[in-house]
Amino acid sequence: MELQLGLSLPSTPIFPFKMLDLNSYGYELREGLGPFGINVNNNCDSCSSSCSSSSSGGADDGGGGTKKRRLLDEENRIVPKTLPLLFWTNQRPNDEDEAKDVDDHSSSAIFKNDGEGLVGWPPVKAWRKKVRRRVGNVRAAVENSCGGRASSSTYVKVKMEGNAIARKIDISRHHSFESLTTTLMRMFDISDENGEKSFKLTYLDREGDWLLAEDVPWR
Amino acid sequence: MAFSFPDEVLEHVFSFIQSDKDRNAVSMVCKSWYEIERWCRRKVFVGNCYAVSPRMVIRRFPEFRSIELKGKPHFADFNLVPDGWGGYVFPWIEEMAGAYPWLEEIRLKRMVVTDESLELIAKSFKNFKVLVLSSCEGFSTDGLAAIAASCKNLKELDLRDCEVDDLSAHWLSHFPETYTSLVSLNISCLGSDEVSFSALERLVGRCTNLKTLRLNRAVPLDKISNILRHAPQLVEFGTGTYTADVRPDVYSDLAGAFSSCKELKSLSGFWDVVPDYLPAIYPVCSKLTSLNLSYATIQSPDLIKLVSHCPNLQRLLVLDYIEDSGLEVLASSCKDLQELRVFPSDPFGAEPNVSLTEQGLVAVSLGCPKLQSVLYFCRRMSNEALVTIARNRPNFTRFRLCIIEPKTADYLTLEPLDVGFGAIVQYCKDLKRLSLSGLLTDRVFEYIGTYAKKLEMLSVAFAGDSDLGLHHVLSGCESLRKLEIRDCPFGDKALLANAAKLETMRSLWMSSCAVSFAACKLLGQKMPRLNVEVIDERGPPDSRPENCPVDKLYIYRSIAGPRCDMPPFVWTMDEDSGLRL
Repeated sequence: MELQLGLSLPSTPIFPFKMLDLNSYGYELREGLGPFGINVNNNCDSCSSSCSSSSSGGADDGGGGTKKRRLLDEENRIVPKTLPLLFWTNQRPNDEDEAKDVDDHSSSAIFKNDGEGLVGWPPVKAWRKKVRRRVGNVRAAVENSCGGRASSSTYVKVKMEGNAIARKIDISRHHSFESLTTTLMRMFDISDENGEKSFKLTYLDREGDWLLAEDVPWR
Repeated sequence: MAFSFPDEVLEHVFSFIQSDKDRNAVSMVCKSWYEIERWCRRKVFVGNCYAVSPRMVIRRFPEFRSIELKGKPHFADFNLVPDGWGGYVFPWIEEMAGAYPWLEEIRLKRMVVTDESLELIAKSFKNFKVLVLSSCEGFSTDGLAAIAASCKNLKELDLRDCEVDDLSAHWLSHFPETYTSLVSLNISCLGSDEVSFSALERLVGRCTNLKTLRLNRAVPLDKISNILRHAPQLVEFGTGTYTADVRPDVYSDLAGAFSSCKELKSLSGFWDVVPDYLPAIYPVCSKLTSLNLSYATIQSPDLIKLVSHCPNLQRLLVLDYIEDSGLEVLASSCKDLQELRVFPSDPFGAEPNVSLTEQGLVAVSLGCPKLQSVLYFCRRMSNEALVTIARNRPNFTRFRLCIIEPKTADYLTLEPLDVGFGAIVQYCKDLKRLSLSGLLTDRVFEYIGTYAKKLEMLSVAFAGDSDLGLHHVLSGCESLRKLEIRDCPFGDKALLANAAKLETMRSLWMSSCAVSFAACKLLGQKMPRLNVEVIDERGPPDSRPENCPVDKLYIYRSIAGPRCDMPPFVWTMDEDSGLRL
């Protein structure tokens, strides 16, 4: 199916400010390359280990080689002074290269580090993460209120969904999830039969994420 | 100009000019207009608190009554700006406390506000009326208590989206019994479980001018009826938790209370909704213009029923539980809709949990002729859909699309979404704000640079192939003020080639890109009116080779020079940076 879009590139636009190209300050970051050359990551061999940032995986290195070739091709034909109206169809130049790139891009698992996910992606504000869909019945939420204060106190606030009153429990007096859950069940009057199965203990970590308590070791 | 109106006449004329842009334009006409304007400017807006110093503002505008300040960059909302970066309001309060005892309004966004700052505000400004803290942090209920206790003329206290240390819910009781001037109260961000209901009810009862009341999650459903009956004049109301055991007496109480509010136009809150209680708001739905259901975890059928009762809706915030089917109903019921935000109910899930696709957005773009502002999270998109949306709705001013998985291609053709977004910028000539997502090459930036002439803010993530992309944007988007980029292969060349452009913008954020430390130093050296901040928690950037990319880069224009409150992980590149290293 053809997507018809009339697009034309303008002649050099006039800007209200002086064009300042600091590239001309004799500062060569990569020798022998024209403007808008290849990104720096490819040259950063010596620092690649120390450079790897802990959050995202940085730019996609997978399709790097292919992209280089395509870039130089594009460079030779970009920015003509005027262009007639272009009809843009699905057919793109360098089709084979495009297909390869698309394949690389669709395997987006490269960005996830150890299943931890990306920092700040998707871009939802912190408090929205706290909107949790009710899974089956009720869950007990444990809020650790240390925040910026000295956490010499080991008391945490425990709130049960559906019950407006929160209780405080001293975490240091428990050494296992079993004793903690038993105590909590007693505090909230949850009887044994339906208790164990339908309640989930979750806690709020520093980033504002609700996590299942059993997923992490007791410490 | 020899012949001119007397100053008083000009001042009178200027008093009708409220917008900052117009005021700024007026002040540039000639020296005498500059002088007259600066003496009569009553509201000052500072889009970046580090672009200017408090003293400079005070020197230029000796008689303002209202100030608005913004601090951290927008990506701070998504945890991309490390804690401690900056944005402290205290120096501003300190300077203003001395210079403006008559200050009435303070509006802050993304700033660090301490209890000390709040106490200073309470102490220094006798006629203080409006405090709006949007996405701020650093204070506790103690600071709020100080405001409540001292600001006898307080009309507005709005804590939207703030992080507040809940030490005690009794801060509300610090409003004296004689205090009655409250018009607007937004405490929806407070987490405290021990809200003093009696204090709240008494406060609401005696403040007969109260028009806006947004409660926090801790206020239970059965308390709302009482509160509403005390304030039937409310125009905007936010519930607390909207859940309770289903009881007919509680329900009829609630329905009755809502019916008594004849002026209600806006509803929000709705945490933990029990669908059985939703019909209680039907009596007010026909007048509603704004509805925020973004915390309401109810399913499509209930949402559809609700939305069908609101023909005058102009603004809707909702979770993706509404699904395509719900959006179709929205499109046919709400012809006045201007703004739609659809949030993900399960943003971190790998698989879609709801049937919300590009079709919902297409339906709304077709059915709602006044739709101008969209924020839409979904899991798939096609160029075809985007082109259709653009053609349907050329009046978009804000278009923010977030396809949840980075680099997702057009699901029909497996192509990049360049053409789709290209259509958006081509058809929507008044587009001011755009957020991109999905698989995108340099071509989309070519379209943006060519067509998006009114674009003021652009957000980019996981897009582009090379510096050419960034160059298109910086060289083509004439109205660009804010550019924020993460995880894109943009390096030094485009940045250095368009250095002068950066002085015409408020700010540029680039994180996890390919800008080298050397380029940052060069920019800092050559552009004295830019603050070039390198944010890197790995350690000093000069401990790595110069051509190594920096982790995060924040560049903003400033006439105040480099700031002095930087934490250890922020370095500013100034004129000396070349020499020092």
